[in-house]
Amino acid sequence: MDFTVDIIKHDGKRSTEKFDRSKLHASITATCLSARTPEGQAKTIASSVCNEVEKWLRQHPEVTSRDIRAVSVKHLKRYHPEAAYLHEQHHLII
Amino acid sequence: MNVPSSLAIVAFAALIHASFQLSVSVLVILSSHTIGARHSQVKLLRLTTSFVIGAGVMTILLLSFVSLVVLSLLGAKISPLAWAIACGMLVGIAISIWMFYYRREKGTTLWIPRGMAEYLTERTKSTKLSAEAFGLGLSSVFGELLFIIAPLTVAALALVQLPSIWQLTGIAIYAFISLLSLLIVWVLISSGHKLSSIQKWRESNKYFLQFTAGSGLIILSVFVYTSQVLGNVVGGV
Repeated sequence: MDFTVDIIKHDGKRSTEKFDRSKLHASITATCLSARTPEGQAKTIASSVCNEVEKWLRQHPEVTSRDIRAVSVKHLKRYHPEAAYLHEQHHLII
Repeated sequence: MNVPSSLAIVAFAALIHASFQLSVSVLVILSSHTIGARHSQVKLLRLTTSFVIGAGVMTILLLSFVSLVVLSLLGAKISPLAWAIACGMLVGIAISIWMFYYRREKGTTLWIPRGMAEYLTERTKSTKLSAEAFGLGLSSVFGELLFIIAPLTVAALALVQLPSIWQLTGIAIYAFISLLSLLIVWVLISSGHKLSSIQKWRESNKYFLQFTAGSGLIILSVFVYTSQVLGNVVGGV
């Protein structure tokens, strides 16, 4: 990735951090696997969603982690609605 | 109070306990992380089983502890005043459940201290061993003490008046019934059911569950007040 984006952590306790594609990829892959998706398909979906998120980030140099989650969910819905639901719910279960 | 009436109170209190959702939420997150981390179905089964056993053990410990406290403070003969105070607590907690149990936002977030919720979420993410899952099961029941204290207290009041063998039976009945919702979700997850379907069902029925938990406490308080307070006072006159 040839650009840097500051992610403001939503809990406000930690300082900003740089956007890490591999972190988002791992998170979406794990969510797809949780939705009982085969591993290869999960990785392909995660790559597609990461591409879309990066495209969006090019226009938004400073975002919150919630923004990233919302945009990921929006794109993930197109590829795997169940995984998108789980990804969205992740912080809303307890 | 006779044995069937006492056990009926214990069973109904346990049913209300079963409608509380913190342990189920933690079980869903634990399963989601275990499957997402590419662990085997055997490991999933081992972790979730340990979690359910932990929740069961904490339920038994809490009920035994509350019973011991009741027995020490009030003795084996419970006065109508003690029952009346318990009824007041049931009504108070029922109203607070109707008003506050779920947060007014998406998902199934609960009105438990946020620090506790974050701790449980973080612990769930890093749970890899059966012993950790067992500890998580213990913590998840303890985390909801604010709400489960009402059914636990009434069950304890009913239990201490029973002969020893029936006390043990009552504790077993309470533990089994209070774990029913957790056991159902555990069976669904272990048999390969989709987590998204389980969470969707929980989310779409959360206000119904909230209403039934609160209503259950009100019904229990009316039953207990009628049979233990009015019954004794009018019978005494």
